[in-house]
Amino acid sequence: MSNALLEVDSLHVEVDDKPILKGLGIAVQAGEVHAVMGPNGAGKSTLANVLAGRPGYAVTSGAMIFDGVDLADRLPEERALLGLFLAFQYPVEIPGLSNMEFLKAAIDARAKHAGLDEPSAADFIKRAREAAGRVGLSADFLRRGVNEGFSGGEKKRNEILQMLLLQPRLAVLDETDSGLDIDALQVVAAGINAFRSANNAVLLVTHYQRLLNYVVPDRVHVLADGRIVRSGDHTLAEQLEQKGYGWLAS
Amino acid sequence: MAGSPAEVTLTQRLLKGGHSGYAPWLDRRPSRDVIERIGLPALRSEEWRHTNVRRWYEAVLANGSSRAEEAAAIAAPAAIEVVDFASPRAAELAAAGPASVIDLASQPLAAVNALLLRAGAVVRAPSGIRSTEPVRIGALNGAFQHVLVHVEAGASLTLIEEPSAFTHRVIEATVAEAGHFCHWRRQARSAERECSLVAVRLQAGANYALAQTSRGADLRRNDIRITLAGSGAEATVVGAWRLHGHDHLDNQVAISHAEAGGFSRQTYRGIAADSARAVLYGRIHIAAGANQTDAALSTKNLLASDAAQVFAKPELEIHASDVQCRHGATVGTLDDAAMHYMRSRGIGEEAARELLLAGFLREAIADAEGAELVGLGA
Amino acid sequence: MAESAEINALVEREYAAGFVTDIAAETLPPGLDEGVVRAISAKKGEPEWMTEWRLDAYRRWRKMRPPRWAHVRFPDIDYQAISYYSAPTGDKPKSLDEVDPELLRTYEKLGIPLHERAKLAGVEGADESAPVAVDAVFDSVSIATTFKEELRDAGVVFCSIAEAIREHPELVRRYLGSVVPKPDNFYAALNSAVFSDGSFVYIPKHTRCPMELSTYFRINAANTGQFERTLIIADAGSYVSYLEGCTAPMRDDNQLHAAVVELVALEDAQIKYSTVQNWYPGDEQGRGGIYNFVTKRGACLGARSKISWTQVETGSAITWKYPSVVLRGDESVGEFHSVALTRNRQQADTGTKMIHIGRGTKSTIVSKGISAGRSQNSYRGLVRMNHGAAGARNHTQCDSLLIGDHCGAHTFPYIESKLPSATIEHEATTSKVSDEQLFLCQQRGIDAEKAVAMIVNGFCKDVFRTLPMEFAVEAAQLLEVSLEGAVG
Repeated sequence: MSNALLEVDSLHVEVDDKPILKGLGIAVQAGEVHAVMGPNGAGKSTLANVLAGRPGYAVTSGAMIFDGVDLADRLPEERALLGLFLAFQYPVEIPGLSNMEFLKAAIDARAKHAGLDEPSAADFIKRAREAAGRVGLSADFLRRGVNEGFSGGEKKRNEILQMLLLQPRLAVLDETDSGLDIDALQVVAAGINAFRSANNAVLLVTHYQRLLNYVVPDRVHVLADGRIVRSGDHTLAEQLEQKGYGWLAS
Repeated sequence: MAGSPAEVTLTQRLLKGGHSGYAPWLDRRPSRDVIERIGLPALRSEEWRHTNVRRWYEAVLANGSSRAEEAAAIAAPAAIEVVDFASPRAAELAAAGPASVIDLASQPLAAVNALLLRAGAVVRAPSGIRSTEPVRIGALNGAFQHVLVHVEAGASLTLIEEPSAFTHRVIEATVAEAGHFCHWRRQARSAERECSLVAVRLQAGANYALAQTSRGADLRRNDIRITLAGSGAEATVVGAWRLHGHDHLDNQVAISHAEAGGFSRQTYRGIAADSARAVLYGRIHIAAGANQTDAALSTKNLLASDAAQVFAKPELEIHASDVQCRHGATVGTLDDAAMHYMRSRGIGEEAARELLLAGFLREAIADAEGAELVGLGA
Repeated sequence: MAESAEINALVEREYAAGFVTDIAAETLPPGLDEGVVRAISAKKGEPEWMTEWRLDAYRRWRKMRPPRWAHVRFPDIDYQAISYYSAPTGDKPKSLDEVDPELLRTYEKLGIPLHERAKLAGVEGADESAPVAVDAVFDSVSIATTFKEELRDAGVVFCSIAEAIREHPELVRRYLGSVVPKPDNFYAALNSAVFSDGSFVYIPKHTRCPMELSTYFRINAANTGQFERTLIIADAGSYVSYLEGCTAPMRDDNQLHAAVVELVALEDAQIKYSTVQNWYPGDEQGRGGIYNFVTKRGACLGARSKISWTQVETGSAITWKYPSVVLRGDESVGEFHSVALTRNRQQADTGTKMIHIGRGTKSTIVSKGISAGRSQNSYRGLVRMNHGAAGARNHTQCDSLLIGDHCGAHTFPYIESKLPSATIEHEATTSKVSDEQLFLCQQRGIDAEKAVAMIVNGFCKDVFRTLPMEFAVEAAQLLEVSLEGAVG
């Protein structure tokens, strides 16, 4: 277990002084896809956000070890540069700042961190266009403001595009499937499947089973009242689909 | 102090004259003080740039002594207490209620009102009383009028101001925690010179809704001052006006967010025809610390003739960062495409214009019953 | 939230242009009377009519009061405690070789090229950029104007206003004070009486000025006011793009800068006027800094003429400035694009006036205000549709961005219409750099300081787009520097 890519141990997290995660543990190895499922309010998004270091989420005890590094007290950008990526549930709009400038800054930060040269503008644009094509965003999206005036589906496609471009070690996808029509869902799933490799891992946080029809997880965890209450293989997701969460709650 | 003859005469009279003996419990010293210290608004001051306040002083001098007695007309449901200022009970209620919400220094006309007052009433919605039947204010006997409204905690009150004449009218209201105050205001076309002040203070969770429709007057000025003094208070102001001839209408609205979590909306739609003149100053002030405030103002104006004029000044003054605030203002004329569309369906030009203008005004007041109440029914 | 606290810690950084040049100067003793006005006129070797013009302005000014309506607070200025003229000693140099090397070094340090091969500093790919002709004004005098030969060949006059009064009196007499009359306002009247130097531009008919023209203003002397005067005349069918920059040393006293800029565009002419204003803003406690009380106005006299103002305002303790356009010619066009950043205890009250007189005139206003620290930032604008401006249109977009909880952002638009066929649309919004925006950038590996700069840059994009390339880069950098240290 000590060589897990992500190891979360007895994690307690409070938001506005209210305990949300109450001793959560999970370990993800490189090459794996894990799904964390659970009813609304169980703490799924809290897990995603606390991993990424979102302000306002206070770790009161427990540990998050990512690739051998303790994430406690690490700034959000440091976690990102270590290779931790969060696909947001509600991606924010940044008017006027173009996707191009934004993505270039993110890629340049990564290159600098790795001690590499920044990619040339031409090289970057080529890669960005290619990624845009893969998630079904038209090339002119690069000139538009970050998520500015994007539909819900476009925002989610943009998250997957960033994952493809930034090539993190661990991608945490927070309800990326919610609010998507079937076409967009398939594009998102294809993106995740293309991303999967023996060197990286994916943590899917979701309320519904339907994304798991396209992205088959190695492990499924049920999160209820701030703890993992059951883990199993992908058949657990199917059981949840049929029976709901009620039978696990007690 | 220099000024026009009307201004000088008025100032002297206000400072020398004793009051009529009406409502002796009223403390008139602060009003006299303000007139003495600050004086009357002068022509050309920023607040009076578009209204010739001298002409109002002339009206005060003409109407200040008294007018023919009319029956005081306030109709109210049983649950609501209405008391004339002349009664000792009014003094009790005023003393027991919250402090005055009028800032005389910025509202010297209210000081004039206080010194010449002949008609006043206290309207009280007792704690927890939710009255659906409205209080109606008709013609009051006197050119200077003051209605003091206390909506107590959790109470709800609907007040309708029917069209009636005055030289100056004050509606002063306090709405306690979680209280509701719904205020309908109809101003009929008038050859008079009329000014009014609406001053409202809202405590936490209180709600105030004002709907005002105005026809023009020889001179009409409405000052509206709303303070959201408690957290989570809400204020909604809608105004619509349609002016003809030489009508003059000057609306000066200021909404002040003093505490966090407040919500305010202002929506104005106005039409000025012939050589009418419409003015709207709409101000949103957000104090330091009033975070999570959501405030917006929209004003749209149509000019229907070459001689009509409109002046708009929507203002934002913001001292807190976590707020959502916006305003929009337009001035123009009826959309040619809409006119053409209607005419192509066989509607005559005049009828089409009338339909479009009425529809434009109704944008301000969405619910049909309300529109009917303020004279904007289809 | 944690990040708000970080953003609040924003904004402190040394003012890079705050050094003092040690140079011998001839300075008039403080105080203002008719004798001083005559002395300034005499030092400039002005003709009698100019002296009289100044004296007339002085007499009018004495009867005027400073305006009080702006949303700014400062103690009364003692106009008798200011010196109204300061100039480096020695004759005006005939060529760059004769300019005092100390002065050349000053401009070099500021990144202003006074060598004709050089380009504006701080510019990416500077080698490829077009040459820029520079008029450098140091305190009360113009010390050098570059590329005069090339411009003369094109028929363009670009010189100091003092030189123009001597060499082109007919143009100066006709247009000086024609757009901003002497008694227009308190500061304009004062400027008319005591203005010392500034730039003059004349673009002949149907001429496209072959290069960008630029004036760089530097206040150096202590206790001295700067009163420059700029007059630009674009004759029928001509085009000119003009840039203006300014800095001053860090001093604990406030210094007054009261400039007047007049633009005249004749038929089909276009003037594009860009300012990057970086006067010393004072320190964190609000000590020192320039009082920037400036009157800028353009007149679109001819049909289809166009005047665009673009300003990036990051400096000055107090800014009082409303670059305006009087749209007299039919179908003439006025534009105002503004970015105003205030921090520490800066106060800015800035905006524009668009006065529509001619038929089918059009105006566009885009204002972006950014407030940080304990600053106050106000937009104040007037759009007026006069009788006769049939079919005129205005569109105004006014956005404020707040950084931190102790600053103020205010919007005071005046909208006046007197005819139905004119259309006015005004919109204003307020927002802040949100925790969510900052977190998204950080999650993608961009540090908080860079993220704030990127978000603010995005907010200002509509304005930066209108700047000439060289200035756009400089403006973005200036903004970034001003925001540096923003996030602790």
